[in-house]
Amino acid sequence: MRSDLLRRSAFVTSALLLGGCFHLTAGDKTREEFQPPRRIDPAAIAVPDGYRIEPIATGLTYPTSVTFDDQGTPYVIEAGYSYGEDFTEPRLLRINPDGGHTVVAKGAHPPWTGVVFHQGAFYVAEGGTEGGGRIVRITPDGTLTPIVSGLPSLGDHHTNGPAAGPDGALYFSVGTATNAGVVGPDSANAESINWLSRDAGFHDIPCRDITLRGLNFTSPDPRTPAPDDTATTGAFVPFGTATKPDQVIRGRVPCSGAVFRLAPGATSPELVAWGFRNPYGLAFSPEGQLYVTENGHDERGSRPIFGAGDYLWAVEPGRWYGFPDFVGGRAVNQEWFKPSGQEHPPQFLLAEHPAPPPQPVAFFGVHSSSNGVDFSRGGTFGHRGLAFVAQFGDQAPDTGKVMSPVGYKVVRVDVGNGVIQDFAANKDKGNGGPASHLGTGGLERPIAVRFNPDNGALYVVDFGVMTVLGKDIKPYRETGVLWRITPTGKKEGP
Amino acid sequence: MKATGCLLVLTTLAALGSSGCGPARRGVPFGPPLHLTERQKQGQVLFMRECNGCHPGGAGGLGPGIANKPLPGFAMRTQIRKGVGAMPAFTEQMLGDAEVDAIVDYLNALQETPGPL
Repeated sequence: MRSDLLRRSAFVTSALLLGGCFHLTAGDKTREEFQPPRRIDPAAIAVPDGYRIEPIATGLTYPTSVTFDDQGTPYVIEAGYSYGEDFTEPRLLRINPDGGHTVVAKGAHPPWTGVVFHQGAFYVAEGGTEGGGRIVRITPDGTLTPIVSGLPSLGDHHTNGPAAGPDGALYFSVGTATNAGVVGPDSANAESINWLSRDAGFHDIPCRDITLRGLNFTSPDPRTPAPDDTATTGAFVPFGTATKPDQVIRGRVPCSGAVFRLAPGATSPELVAWGFRNPYGLAFSPEGQLYVTENGHDERGSRPIFGAGDYLWAVEPGRWYGFPDFVGGRAVNQEWFKPSGQEHPPQFLLAEHPAPPPQPVAFFGVHSSSNGVDFSRGGTFGHRGLAFVAQFGDQAPDTGKVMSPVGYKVVRVDVGNGVIQDFAANKDKGNGGPASHLGTGGLERPIAVRFNPDNGALYVVDFGVMTVLGKDIKPYRETGVLWRITPTGKKEGP
Repeated sequence: MKATGCLLVLTTLAALGSSGCGPARRGVPFGPPLHLTERQKQGQVLFMRECNGCHPGGAGGLGPGIANKPLPGFAMRTQIRKGVGAMPAFTEQMLGDAEVDAIVDYLNALQETPGPL
C-alpha cells in the first residue's frame, strides 16, 4: 500500500520534474492549421544585437535555394514539388531589386533542391522524385543542359546540393529511398510521400557490396485494395521482396545516401563518401573542408527509429557514415533508439559493417530537419568559420511525436567544438514554432542559407507554410519568402 | 518512516521542479551572450554532444525543456544517471562524474539568465 503510494508519487514527481510547465502529452498542435494569407513581419524575428532581418521577396512557391551571380544579384529556385504530394513547376528566378522576380528557366525532375552559380552558369540539383535525379547546367539565357542523369532519388529523399569545391569540381549528394533501409507503407501515403505508387520497384542501393543478416519486415501492402493484405520486405530490395541471411547486395555508383564529386567537364560522378541517410546541405569551410548536414531517421515505417537527431558531418573521402545501422555514429541496436510500443530496439540489417563510422561535428535537435548550410567567410558580417544552418522544422507527428516544436530557425555552429546557438528565431514566450502557429509574421520553415559574394549579408530561404495533421502534410503555395540578414554596425561576437 | 521521508523529498523536488515556470533561456539572439566559466564551457560542449538532440539549446523538443526549472544539482545528476521515461540513463562509461557536474553547472548558468522575448 505504502510502496504503491510511493511508486505513484515517484511517477508524478518524475513527470513534474521532467515536464516543468510543458504539457506531458506529446503531440503539440503547432503545425495543424493555417489560414492564408501569410503574414510578413521581420519584427517578429529575433536576431543578435547588431543585425537586422528583412524580407527581400515574398509569394514564392516552395523555394529551396538561393545563389548569386558575379554582380551579386540573387537567384532563387522553386522546387516544383513538396511533401504532401503537391507538384508545381520547378523554376529558376532572378530576384529583382523591387522584390519581384524574372523567370530565367523552367524545368522538370522535381523537386529542385539546390542551386549554385559557378563559372558563369547555374548548376541545379534536380531532386528527381519524378524521372530520377539530375545535375543540370543552366546558362544565364535559360538554356538547360543535363550534366548527370539517372541518379537514384525517386524515393523519400532526393538529389541535393550542389556545392562548388575549391578544386573547381561540383559536389552533390543523393539521399536514401527509405527511412531506414526498408521500403514500407510509409512511402505510399497520398497525403505525405507517395513514390511507392509511382515506382514500386525502387529501393535503396548500396555504394559497395554489402552482406545482409536477412531481416524481413511484414507490413500492410498498399499495392492492393484489401486492407488486410500484407507484404514481407527485406533491406535494399523492392517492396514485397524478402531477403535471406548472408545475401549479398551488389553495390554500384551512383547509389543511395552518398556524396559525389563531379570533376570539371565530367559526366560521371565519383563517390566521395557513403552511408548517409539524407545528406542535404553541402558547404565548404573557408579552409576548404566539405561539410554535410544529415537528416536523421524518423519514427515511421517498417523499421522506425526513435530519437535520431540531425547531424553536421565533416566529410572524409572514402568513409562510410553508418546507414542503415548507425545513427550519428551510434549503433541503432541500443535502448536509446527503441520506438515506443516496440519490444526491442532496431536490429542491425548488415551482417558486417564496412568500418566504424566517424562521429558528427554537431548534434542538432531530433526532427529539426537541419538542412541548408553555409560558412561565413568573415567580412562585414563577422563570425568567420562558423557554419550557419537552416532548420526547416519538425514534421511531427508524421515523422514521430515531439513535446515542443523543433527547428523553424537559423542556427550557427562552431565546428571546432560542436556548440550550436540560435541566430534567427521567432520571438515568443512559449515553446517556439512556425510563425503561423505563433500568430506572427516571422519565420515559417527555413530551408537554405547562403552568404552573398562579399559576405556582407546572409540570405535565408523560407520554404513557406507546411502544416501536418496526423499523416497529412499540407504545403501552401505562394507562402515562401527570401529573407536577408545584415549587420547594422555594432556586432556581438568575433 | 522511510517511505514517508522519501515521499517528502519527492514532493519537495516536485514543487521545486514545477515552480520554475518561466520560459527557458534561449540564448543569443534573445539576450546577452552567456559568460561561462571554463567548467561551464566544458559542460556546454558535453551538453551539445549528449543532450542537445532531445533538449535543443535547453528548450523543449523531443523531450521537455530543461533550462527553465531551478532543480537542485543532485536532482539533475539523478535524472542523468538514472534516466526517466524515454530519457536514457547515462552510465559512468558514457559520462564521468566530473562531466555530469560540468553539464549541471552549464544548465545552472542557463537558468540564471533571462528568458525569451
